Amino acid sequence: MDLSRRHFLEAGFTVGIAGAAGAGLMPACANEAREMPFWHLGYKTAPRNGFEPAAMRLAYGRAPVDLKGTLYRNGPAQMQYGDQFASHWFDGDGLIHRIGIEDGQAVHKARFVDTKKRREEQAEGAFLAPGFGSLGDERFSVEGPDDVNAANTSVLMVNGELLALWEAGSAFSMDADSLETNGPKTWRDDLKALPFLAHPKVEPDGRVWNLAVGGSRVGIYRIAAGGQLEDFGLVNIGRAAYIHDWTMTARHLIILVQPWINENLRPPVVAGFEWQPQHGLQMLIIDKDDFSNQRWAQAPARMFFHTGSAWEESDGTIKFDVVLYKEPVLGVNGGAAEIRGEWTGEHFAENGILSQVIIPPQGDATIVETDIVGEFPQVDPRFRGEHRNLVALASGSSDQRPGATGLTVHNWTSGASDSFVFGDDRMVEEFLFVPKSGGSTDADAWLIGTVLNLKARTSEVCVFDAARVSDGPVCIWQADYSWPLGFHGTWA
Amino acid sequence: MTRTSSIAAILALALSTAPVAMASDLTVNVEGISQAQGTIMLGLFDEATYSGDGAVAGANLKVDGDRVSVTFDNLAPGEYAVQLYHDVNDDGEMNTNPFGMPTEPFAFSNDAKGRFGPAKWDAAKFSVGADGTSHTITMN
Repeated sequence: MDLSRRHFLEAGFTVGIAGAAGAGLMPACANEAREMPFWHLGYKTAPRNGFEPAAMRLAYGRAPVDLKGTLYRNGPAQMQYGDQFASHWFDGDGLIHRIGIEDGQAVHKARFVDTKKRREEQAEGAFLAPGFGSLGDERFSVEGPDDVNAANTSVLMVNGELLALWEAGSAFSMDADSLETNGPKTWRDDLKALPFLAHPKVEPDGRVWNLAVGGSRVGIYRIAAGGQLEDFGLVNIGRAAYIHDWTMTARHLIILVQPWINENLRPPVVAGFEWQPQHGLQMLIIDKDDFSNQRWAQAPARMFFHTGSAWEESDGTIKFDVVLYKEPVLGVNGGAAEIRGEWTGEHFAENGILSQVIIPPQGDATIVETDIVGEFPQVDPRFRGEHRNLVALASGSSDQRPGATGLTVHNWTSGASDSFVFGDDRMVEEFLFVPKSGGSTDADAWLIGTVLNLKARTSEVCVFDAARVSDGPVCIWQADYSWPLGFHGTWA
Repeated sequence: MTRTSSIAAILALALSTAPVAMASDLTVNVEGISQAQGTIMLGLFDEATYSGDGAVAGANLKVDGDRVSVTFDNLAPGEYAVQLYHDVNDDGEMNTNPFGMPTEPFAFSNDAKGRFGPAKWDAAKFSVGADGTSHTITMN
């Protein structure tokens, strides 16, 4: 595979020069008030009106003929007003990307979600809203969670309706083609303004499950593939743990109650968290058919942001993949300095480790750690909640810059891993499984994701074959411009 | 002590007789109502009652369009504020979601907004003069 990889890297270098020539081979951020490091491109504020539809250039390889659909992504994209930087990466306004792929062509466009926070801050030319890392301006009114909703974390497609997701407020309904904002989504009149996590779980048949987190009280949404709310219930998880993600088998919901506690959710939210490792990592396992049928499992204290998915063995043993940290990282130490162009690599060693949590039918859970450093674990949507082999994640780290350097697919059954390393010049984001037509296993899939080419200073969409990641990309589409790093996406 | 009590008694007498001596009218218009059903539950407050349970006056206004109106007579000239909510389903309560956030529209005079709570008195207060006043609140 070395030949392919070298071939790709050489081609990538050529692409880099060509792209840079078009943009002018100027020093990083020469037009800005102060010189920013080369990687700060990933945190640069997007144009006010987003990006008009623009064809991306097939810069490498050949597009799979069966790859047809749309990659939607979301991420914070307003990090600066004049000399004022956002207090935290998590507080930037959500920019929704739509990358339509058909007949080997890729077309990108993007629009900001039209929230109260964005409208008022754009009008003022300043950050005003309180948030995860922001105290906020006293003049900014807050009559409910959607007044501070940044709508910046992920996207979900339900029965043709595109939803921009945050975690502490409503989903925002969007037009899937124009990306115009319709407004906050109300699933039922009595659930108006109730939080809707940015990590809903979609069963292979299209049914959606999600959580509403309010301190130690957690709401459970069950939504039909057709978009109607089928059921809603409340459970108590005992303490106000930070819940960004969770997981689910075919039969059970699993809420991970990590010992990162915030009993006072006042802005800036990040200041209220306390690491209480004495509690361990507790997991509440809830019967999907009867929310009152619950049991607890316990693992050693860990912090996490993202799971892959879970399944159950025939004896009831639950297994799921998750990226675990020994203690809180990004929320506390990172996420603020980077947007100001400050990064020392001080927390270089505190990367998340791809792990598998095994919960036996009785007794404590165990954690199996791989040697893979990464984030944004993803699985094949055909096998969500079911037994499968593979998990893919953005992997590796650099001592030159924040962000991932490669893509890894790990096989839990064989224990083998397959990786491709882009190196320091490309910041690697989340990759999604897209089943190949006619395939039956999770190796029969494409992996599609975005990469920020720091040399060419352009954003790219890359496709890999999930069965042969180390061969390098199957194809790369390159934009004529760059957009800031995002968080999560969906394929529709 | 006696002197203080006397002054307080005189002030109390003056305040209690003021409305009779200088009665004034206030018309409150509520516009921009999104659902033509239910009832606007409206309370009129002075500074002393604004953060408490009681109101100076109140009205329950049936909604059959996008606006309602009410006139309060015989008010003492001074500063007042309005708090209201739209009881859309006419159950007599301001409904909330499971985490306690209102699910029915609400508003304050001056279209004032709160910040992690109701609008503050200083933002919602307005003056009612001796010649009467009209005040319009726009729901959104």
